Amino acid sequence: MTEYALRMGDGQRIFMTKEQILTDLQEGMADAADLGTIPDLSGDELDKLVDIITTSSRMVGVEPGMEVPVTHDISTIRIDGDQGNSGVGIPSSRLVGMMMHERAFGADTMELGHIDYSYKPVKPIISQEQQTMEVCQQNMIVPLLYGAMPNMGLYYTPDGPFPNPGDLMKSFKIKEAQEAMEGAAEHLTRDIVWIMQRMMASGADGINFDTIGAAGDGDMFASLHAIEQLRKEFPDIYIETGMAGELMLGLHGEMEYDGTVLAGLWPHEQAPLAAKAGSNVFGPVVNTNTSKSFAWNLGRAVTFIKEAVKASTIPCHVNMGMGVGGIPMLETPTIDAVSRASKAMVEIAGVDGI
Amino acid sequence: MGMPISHIMTSGMSGIRAAGDLVARMEFSKSMRIGEAKDYVSKKLGVSTMDLSDEYVMRELREELGLGVITSVAGVPKGIAAKMNIEKLLDIKINSCEMFRNKIA
Amino acid sequence: MSKEEMFKELSDAIVSCKQDLVLAVIEKAKSEGIAAPEIIEKGLAAGMNEVGIMFERGKLFLPHVMMASGAMEAGVKMLEDDMPTDAPSDKLGVIVNGTVEGDVHDIGKSIVSTMLQSSGFEVHDIGRDVPLQDFIAKIKETDANMVGMSALMTTTMPGQKEIIEMLKEQGLREKVKVMVGGAPATQAWADKIGADCYAENASEAVAKAKELLV
Repeated sequence: MTEYALRMGDGQRIFMTKEQILTDLQEGMADAADLGTIPDLSGDELDKLVDIITTSSRMVGVEPGMEVPVTHDISTIRIDGDQGNSGVGIPSSRLVGMMMHERAFGADTMELGHIDYSYKPVKPIISQEQQTMEVCQQNMIVPLLYGAMPNMGLYYTPDGPFPNPGDLMKSFKIKEAQEAMEGAAEHLTRDIVWIMQRMMASGADGINFDTIGAAGDGDMFASLHAIEQLRKEFPDIYIETGMAGELMLGLHGEMEYDGTVLAGLWPHEQAPLAAKAGSNVFGPVVNTNTSKSFAWNLGRAVTFIKEAVKASTIPCHVNMGMGVGGIPMLETPTIDAVSRASKAMVEIAGVDGI
Repeated sequence: MGMPISHIMTSGMSGIRAAGDLVARMEFSKSMRIGEAKDYVSKKLGVSTMDLSDEYVMRELREELGLGVITSVAGVPKGIAAKMNIEKLLDIKINSCEMFRNKIA
Repeated sequence: MSKEEMFKELSDAIVSCKQDLVLAVIEKAKSEGIAAPEIIEKGLAAGMNEVGIMFERGKLFLPHVMMASGAMEAGVKMLEDDMPTDAPSDKLGVIVNGTVEGDVHDIGKSIVSTMLQSSGFEVHDIGRDVPLQDFIAKIKETDANMVGMSALMTTTMPGQKEIIEMLKEQGLREKVKVMVGGAPATQAWADKIGADCYAENASEAVAKAKELLV
């Protein structure tokens, strides 16, 4: 029986028959449908996924006319980053990195960010960030956002003023843990707004929230309030709301936005809140399971994202970096898997961008 | 680097190589979904939606309209100048252009 | 009320974090002569299992897990005197858990600690950015039979391997099971460095710890 080469969730090459691929796609899809209480993919959509995965070419591409904008996060860290992450360590200024994305790679939008890549540490270097934004805006044409991670963890000891809710929780101090999260959220909102007031004065097109919710529901609460305040102060600001994971972790458990409890929300439930707060673009995420096949992960990711696209009233740019959106968790994600996942998200999930 | 480039090659609109930046601007400035954004931009440019990712069509059109081109061409609008032309074409305001105007006012 | 109905009521009381109700049902069960180990296994532990499943599915959140865990602890305490003297300890195992040196990520590791603690393990969470030697010192101090090591960066993952080497050097490797986790960690990485298991998330960490220690 013919076997096709594909990947495990950690990137390792495996071989499966068409029947095995279909079974894994169905199981991944069923997992998403069960967790999110959302519909299955249709038979035609599953067949198309099988076709995409089993195509003999190394890369695939969307049908002409179906292309979508590809937005970028992590700024130029992927070029000059040299700290054992996905950066390739080419010494270059951020302007050079930005222009390489625009002119050499054909990026549709770009983002300026700093090497630490969280909002809080921008405060002491704000002047440098503003001036870099000014220089980049003078030279560039594509939309250029300022981006970083909300990363509410930086507001807890030993990095910040609030006691660590993880420690409090383990000693059953639940109320105190919740209060620490509420305090941290307030500080985070204030810092993001303060930073963006200055970046907008330096010509930024807008803001990218990269990995909202990494520190749980308080992180999302703070980000949504920052979005709301920024939209009010800057009616024309571009706001991209990118998530950290598929499920909003309930570390606080009771935080609400617009009457909705944030904990436990899946991508299709997060999208309307992002729009309500004032975002222009929502970036849903589905995590990759490294112990499952690419087929299982892709079936699952497309099922979740298709529903998020349907539920959203604003464009959805699916997050498709390493370890998300069906893409294997690997610093150098294999091109065959990236390309197939990309095509599937556009043609089956119907995303507005990546 | 393989990942973003793979996405751009598989699904992207090629930025200023074609009209990806213009479609992205409509998604971001007016929250338009992909179909609406492509329709809007294609009407403003007088081309089909398929042409928006077509380098053959867009290379010449971008130069003609002063929207900025991906290759190095002496004398064509770049940076803020190109974005000011994009503002007019798409009937939107771009923050960096506004800041630029404020500085010279 | 039948025994099964009573266990169900107890399990539901755990899931809904109602400590008073948990204690009241245990009182009733005791008065009807149901053995303490059976009350713990079929009532309290069954409820905590359900809590774990609901956490994984985003239906219950960390504060609920802790409240349920608190209710379970109170229930077990109430039954302590009725436990047979030869009954095994109610602790499932002793686990030292931390994020390796150079890595300041804390949240995922803390959730794993909380879930392990809620599931009946004695957990010593030694924090984040922990010097590798401190893992060994804590293992010795607590007589732990498992160590959990988190790393969220490819640059800090080698710390997990180094701790395994240190365990071997100190003659502790046979006694201490090793679990690794964190975004860049995978089963292949666990196999490569000779860990006993890799866990994808907090619920899987509990399941794998039970597999190895119980």
